[in-house]
Amino acid sequence: MNTAARTAVRSRFTLSRDVMQAFYRLLGVVLLCAMLATLSDVFLTTNNILNVLRQSALLFLMASGLTLVILTAGLDLSIGANVALSACLAASVIKITGSPLLGVATGIGCGAVIGLANGILVTALRIPSFIATYGMMWMLTGVTYYYMAGETIHGFPPEFRQLGSGYLLGVPMPVYVMVLFLLIGGLFAQRTVWGQQIYAIGANPVTARLSGVPVERRLVLVYAVSGAMAGLASLIILARINSAQGDIGEDLTLPAIAAVLVGGTSLFGGSGTVAGTLIGALILTLVLNGMNLLQINSSWQPLVTGVIVLLAVWIDTRARRIGE
Amino acid sequence: MSTRGFSLAALPVARVPGVAIVLVVLCAGFGVTSPGFATPANIANILTQSTILLLLALPMTVIIMTEGLDLSIGAVLTFASIVLAVTVIATGSPTLAFLAALGVGLCFGLGNGVLIAVFDIPPFITTLGTLGIAQGLSLLVTDGQSVVGIPRSIEQIYSGTAAGIPFPIIIAALAYFITHALLYHTRFGTYVFALGGNREALRVAGISVRGMLIRVYVFGGLMAGFAALLMTARLNSAHPTAGIGMEFDAIAAVAVGGTSFERGNGWLLGTLLGVIAVGVLRNGLNLLAVPSSVQVACIGALVIVALFIDGMRAER
Amino acid sequence: MKYLAISVTAVLTALFSGPAFADGETIAVFTKNQTNPYFQAVRVGTETAAKALGVKVIQYVPTKPDSIPEQLSQVEDVIVKKPNAIVFIPVDYKALVPAVEKINAAGIPVTNITDRSAGGNFVAFVGADDYSIGLSVARRLLKAIGGKGNVIILEGVKGSLTSTNRVRGFNDAMKENPDVKLLASQPANFQRLNALQVMENLMQSFPSIDGVLAANDPMAVGAIEALEGANRKALVIGINGSKEAVELIKSGKLLASGDFNGFIQGCIGTEIAVRNLHKQPTPKEVMLKPIVIDKTNFTPYEMPVEQRACPTLEQIVSN
Repeated sequence: MNTAARTAVRSRFTLSRDVMQAFYRLLGVVLLCAMLATLSDVFLTTNNILNVLRQSALLFLMASGLTLVILTAGLDLSIGANVALSACLAASVIKITGSPLLGVATGIGCGAVIGLANGILVTALRIPSFIATYGMMWMLTGVTYYYMAGETIHGFPPEFRQLGSGYLLGVPMPVYVMVLFLLIGGLFAQRTVWGQQIYAIGANPVTARLSGVPVERRLVLVYAVSGAMAGLASLIILARINSAQGDIGEDLTLPAIAAVLVGGTSLFGGSGTVAGTLIGALILTLVLNGMNLLQINSSWQPLVTGVIVLLAVWIDTRARRIGE
Repeated sequence: MSTRGFSLAALPVARVPGVAIVLVVLCAGFGVTSPGFATPANIANILTQSTILLLLALPMTVIIMTEGLDLSIGAVLTFASIVLAVTVIATGSPTLAFLAALGVGLCFGLGNGVLIAVFDIPPFITTLGTLGIAQGLSLLVTDGQSVVGIPRSIEQIYSGTAAGIPFPIIIAALAYFITHALLYHTRFGTYVFALGGNREALRVAGISVRGMLIRVYVFGGLMAGFAALLMTARLNSAHPTAGIGMEFDAIAAVAVGGTSFERGNGWLLGTLLGVIAVGVLRNGLNLLAVPSSVQVACIGALVIVALFIDGMRAER
Repeated sequence: MKYLAISVTAVLTALFSGPAFADGETIAVFTKNQTNPYFQAVRVGTETAAKALGVKVIQYVPTKPDSIPEQLSQVEDVIVKKPNAIVFIPVDYKALVPAVEKINAAGIPVTNITDRSAGGNFVAFVGADDYSIGLSVARRLLKAIGGKGNVIILEGVKGSLTSTNRVRGFNDAMKENPDVKLLASQPANFQRLNALQVMENLMQSFPSIDGVLAANDPMAVGAIEALEGANRKALVIGINGSKEAVELIKSGKLLASGDFNGFIQGCIGTEIAVRNLHKQPTPKEVMLKPIVIDKTNFTPYEMPVEQRACPTLEQIVSN
């Protein structure tokens, strides 16, 4: 059996194990929902469910590109700062040109360029992704602060705002974007050669290179995608809060990483799914939503979130152990 | 281009430190452009300001050498300092308070170690979880407020001097030598190196890998508890946001110093240089009154440049 | 009679001995972070005043927003440079006391603005009374809803002096109106996105909300966005008097905003620092009057801070 076939078999095996993991997690979501529904009589209302979906959509979009990075055993700590700069630049472009379309292009483009830079730092300059993206985070933040000079940009055209706060058939727009990228991301990872190569790089970069995978090019690609998705997320935030400020997205990096990990993707690379990340995002959002509905003192939030993250990953580790 | 060697036994082979180059360049640059930089008072400032970070970066070096990470160390530092403050106000005994802080560090270190070694949860996630727990506890205990009313004796620990040298520097030097001895002159240290590069060797030798891992994280927790003393003394209070982000600063300092995430190569002196380099950069930029946004960008640049230099040299 | 004479003399002395033009004096200004427009307004205020008075200001802002240890380090570094004076907003009013003591020990005169520090010696304190502002603007909203209905409070950052005092003002205003019911009081960290999400969640639990008291403008805007998104109506007030708030007041979406004027505080703080350097008399405390900006008086606030001129100390004190 040649290497390509071997890789294909391995990834199919990984696929079924990943499917099992996704199932366990889905179970977790269902249990969580059941618990919240009994504790709060407003949990299962249409409005609240839509809220939860919309809030998870944002987290998911940030975490979806990140999933690909983590699949290659890398990390992207710069996504929060990426969101800030992309949002601020996009906001300026919308204000200056009046064109939402140009703004969208700027946001995603800026995010992608930043991602590209990360990719180059990691591949060409051989800097470990943790440090490269950490350094990038600081540099992006500096540029954003300098550019915004403590001001805010606010007031965007209604067509643009539809992206964040609009509804289509009663469902919030961000949810559609979420589903769209769930499909795109999932199909890309599982069904394209490039996707399979990404898994292979994470599982064993040496073997992957030997079987002909252009490792550097794929790595640059995943960081660029992670950046572009951060850019997209920044547009949705802009559309929702109708303003741009230098510190947007600051608090989104660690939750995005948590969503990916809670969703079953391994930090060591090679296993995990985009769908799992969606479930991870759902779980984290449900926990916060539940605490808000139950009017639990917000000081409890970091603690409860920390415990849930540990629990989710522990369950996953056990399930993985059983599966082997 | 041949690699210049150093005669330090602890130096990872064939790695000329980028951090040393960066540090020299920074010091020279600031010394020339900023009249107040190269004065004893300012240098003492830089070193004193770097002590808390060093206390976190030392165990972080050891942890990273075992292919692990401790993201909770900043939050544990914060919570320990709050416990210290509350205890000293309630009991009036600095000793008891210090022990309480160490106790907090011990608990979290144990927790981290057990979750990682026994429950097999990857260090990144474990410590991300315990970060949340420590942060949550800090917020709950203080309700967001500073804890004040701490007796002056604690404050003396940061502001006092012995033979003209500020206490924090003495404490940090002590911590450095202890860690150095632990790492390079004890069996514990040898096992730590093995944990990073060659776990099989440990198992074959009959050493409990789990036990070693737990000890490593306990070391981290204890140092965080120890650093809490300095932090509380420095602020003369305790605040739930005091240590935010310090774990990333510590990790960056370790990486800038030349310790690799992958191969278990550890260079403690590099960590010290890395911590000082960051302190020098911040201080120098403050003295030059560089706008804050530019400072932020420079910090990122420092990290990337230091590793870029290392990366380029490693290739040769 | 004697009291009147003394105060008239004081005012006249102040009027006729404006701060002499300084030559090359440097004032170090400390603010909390780079992203909150309030602090930007303060910085613009200090620079506008500095230009008018012929002094130089240097801004010190932590690279990590609101970082206590970092502001401490910056103070230590700045002391080495020996500026002529310091204008100081502590990141935390209790935790930065050691820093102020260090400044005092170095003999550098320091003026405190915005957040009153819990210790240390200052030339003066310039601020606005968060409590009175909260009280006034809450009263405006409660009057507008006819003194009865359901109200939500959006708090700021837990533990921040500003938030605590403003919310105290809100609560006292509510006590004056017994028919008003407080549904919930939740923190949203002074942030827009936070407030939006908190508001969305609260709207689930409470189908009928008549008013929202937000402790600052970004949170008020977040609440408005949430309400609009759910097609619900409620009266909202904020505090800051920011550009965005003024626009929303103009368009009727925001009922009112309390004027917590960073620009003026920056101006006056700098002016007092300079006066003090020239041994001119300075008041020990300047509290800006609580002004509620609403549809009737928003016009002067439409001008961006960069274009405004600093009011002088006399103008403020005599108000």
